[in-house]
Amino acid sequence: MTYPSVYPTGATVYLPDQCWCGYTIFQAKELGTLLIDMNGREVRLWKGLHGFPNKLFPDGHVLGHTGERNTKYGIQDYRDLLQLDWDGNIVWKFSAYEYIEDFGEEPQWMARVHHDYQREGNPVGYFTPGMNPRIDGGNTLLLGHKNLVCKEISDKPLLDDTIYEVTWDGDLVWEWVCSEHFEQFGFREDAKNIICRDPNMRPTGGGMGDWMHLNSMSTLGPNRWYDAGDERFHPANIITDGRETNIIFIVSKETGDIVWKVGPNYDETPQLKELGWIIGQHHAHMVPRGLPGEGHILVFDNGGWAGYGAPNPGSPIGAKNALRDYSRVLEFDPLTLKIIWQYTPAEAGLVHPTDSNRFYSPFISSVQRLPNGNTLIAEGSGGRIIEVTADHRVVWEYISPYWGKHFKMNMVYRAYRVPYEWVPQLERPRETAIAPIDVTTFRVPGAAPGGAEVEVAVEGTLPYQSSSALCVVSDADEED
Amino acid sequence: MSITIYSAPGCVRCRVVKQFLNERGLRFQDRDALGDGKAAFRSFYQNNRQKIFRGPEGVEFPIYYDDDVIRQGLPAVVAHLIGGPALNGFFKPGRLHGQWLDGIHISDGASARGGDLLEVLTYLKKQSFKIRIDTNGVNADLLASVLEHGLADRVIMEVKGPLNLYDLLLQQPVDPAEIEKSIALVSKCSDYGFVTTIAPVVRQKGDPGQISYITPAEVAEAANLIKKAAGDNRQPYRLMFFDPESAADEKLRTLEALTQNALFKYRSEARKHQFKTEILAD
Repeated sequence: MTYPSVYPTGATVYLPDQCWCGYTIFQAKELGTLLIDMNGREVRLWKGLHGFPNKLFPDGHVLGHTGERNTKYGIQDYRDLLQLDWDGNIVWKFSAYEYIEDFGEEPQWMARVHHDYQREGNPVGYFTPGMNPRIDGGNTLLLGHKNLVCKEISDKPLLDDTIYEVTWDGDLVWEWVCSEHFEQFGFREDAKNIICRDPNMRPTGGGMGDWMHLNSMSTLGPNRWYDAGDERFHPANIITDGRETNIIFIVSKETGDIVWKVGPNYDETPQLKELGWIIGQHHAHMVPRGLPGEGHILVFDNGGWAGYGAPNPGSPIGAKNALRDYSRVLEFDPLTLKIIWQYTPAEAGLVHPTDSNRFYSPFISSVQRLPNGNTLIAEGSGGRIIEVTADHRVVWEYISPYWGKHFKMNMVYRAYRVPYEWVPQLERPRETAIAPIDVTTFRVPGAAPGGAEVEVAVEGTLPYQSSSALCVVSDADEED
Repeated sequence: MSITIYSAPGCVRCRVVKQFLNERGLRFQDRDALGDGKAAFRSFYQNNRQKIFRGPEGVEFPIYYDDDVIRQGLPAVVAHLIGGPALNGFFKPGRLHGQWLDGIHISDGASARGGDLLEVLTYLKKQSFKIRIDTNGVNADLLASVLEHGLADRVIMEVKGPLNLYDLLLQQPVDPAEIEKSIALVSKCSDYGFVTTIAPVVRQKGDPGQISYITPAEVAEAANLIKKAAGDNRQPYRLMFFDPESAADEKLRTLEALTQNALFKYRSEARKHQFKTEILAD
């Protein structure tokens, strides 16, 4: 989090022969839907097209929204979900989930979609060999919102999460409402107590408790666990995660029941303790069949602040009672919970914990497994998108140059890499390597070069210790 | 004729019935069904099990017995004492508690006895109860009288289906104008709602007959009916499941129940005319 006031934006690292090259799509803050190539060239902007998130499908079709509900009345309620062709023509649209009449606003149907959606044909919304999302039909799953009161949770009005499925013709054919499964999440009494008193109340619309805050949703797709007879991993089942509760869970498409989960407590078994306390996570999904790591759970474990439970010095009333000031990307086995691969400050080459917060996005962010085993990570709060290899080398880096005028961050909610073949309208771009700059010698214009003009030898000085010997313990400390 | 009232300790509704009997100078025997009269009530219950409604939370008190007639629940007992069996059609077992009285179905009784019904409701209202009225649109003039006298605090109208199916669904001739009038009246109440049960329709009698659930398109027509009669498309409209197992008509009990997912299509169609349509879980 120690950002200098001056630093480059755009593509900053690109090693073509080690990357899985393609285009990258993301929502440029308060600008629109931006498609860039590996050199950061902005090859297409769908100006003003919102994206929570944006996705690119084959034949250059882009998905997004026309806009958001007035934030005086709703939180992250996007009005619709659109599929546009390369030229911006509407191919498909859905909005008729709830008829909204907000004071001073034009009454209208709204999808109230937020954070995620999936089109039939592909379980996760990103490139998977042999599983293209349909662009000319098929059902769509949407993560939605619904306002309600659920006395079992709290006497306060809730902003509840729903998952619903609509046909290509716009018929709603399936719906799941989160609060109806409250008892299946395994909250302890101390957590229920604080959820009851403060279900993450937001002041919008006179006050509503965004108690769960689901922020990703995808189907499992075909997988080896189901093939081996484990019904919990039925390909149609849905994996989603709650940012406020630290829970990642799978919903049975058939019954609506929670059939698998980790969280909200990570201290109940040795396996969970080993996995570590996941906090405020985003984009938890199962790596789809056909990609390296298939069947594993991939998640951006933000850290930050989240969860409900017993009060502690960092959480006087037990709200957001889990805290951590660095992020982790985890790939773990859903049966053993064993971590298979991770990218944390340690793998990023940062001294832990003293420098760990340099890999840290306390909100948003995403992670995508690429066909060559690399992983695309959006470290969202700082607008940084990186591609890392299985052995943790950063082979591509891009910093969004777009800061919002209203929300003054260059944040990137989620980023997706798509193959060149999905954009047949463009010639394959020229790929120019960008070697990592040695920041110890890099200077901006006007700055003096490094190196002392005069060196003075001081008699009696000792060499520097190899151990850190800092005010705080770090992983650089040496053991006896 | 001797009158027995089976009551429960602390039961306000029981107290109101006993007060009514006293006001009318009618002598009665008071049996505390959960205390001293427990054995007597158990015997009475066992002998009359079929006539006593037992809901999910137990038996509702008071229960009236006069060696011949058994009536249960405050509204039904007062109605019997005012109008006798002729008022029976208006009253069914209630489900609401506390200050709310329900089970009063304005369409199911004899409209000629509307004056007696108003007397019953007036008496109950004077006891500071809140009254829920149910209607399916029949007896619209009586509904108008009830509303005019301020005797309904909440009105729920079951719109059985589109007008062209009403006769079949109610199995009696229905005046469409009456249904439209009821919808208009209900929509002007301060606390109200419309519901439609996705019920089977005996489309053709005989053996074999033709029975099928009302269709999503027919529910859309019902929603449109509400829109036209109420004047807008923002009415509180709910769709309800039909439970074949509890159907009065034996022929319907073998039908397969609709699934939750099946009702979404109905909701989508209804929302074309009534934007606020929801599915009622219970």
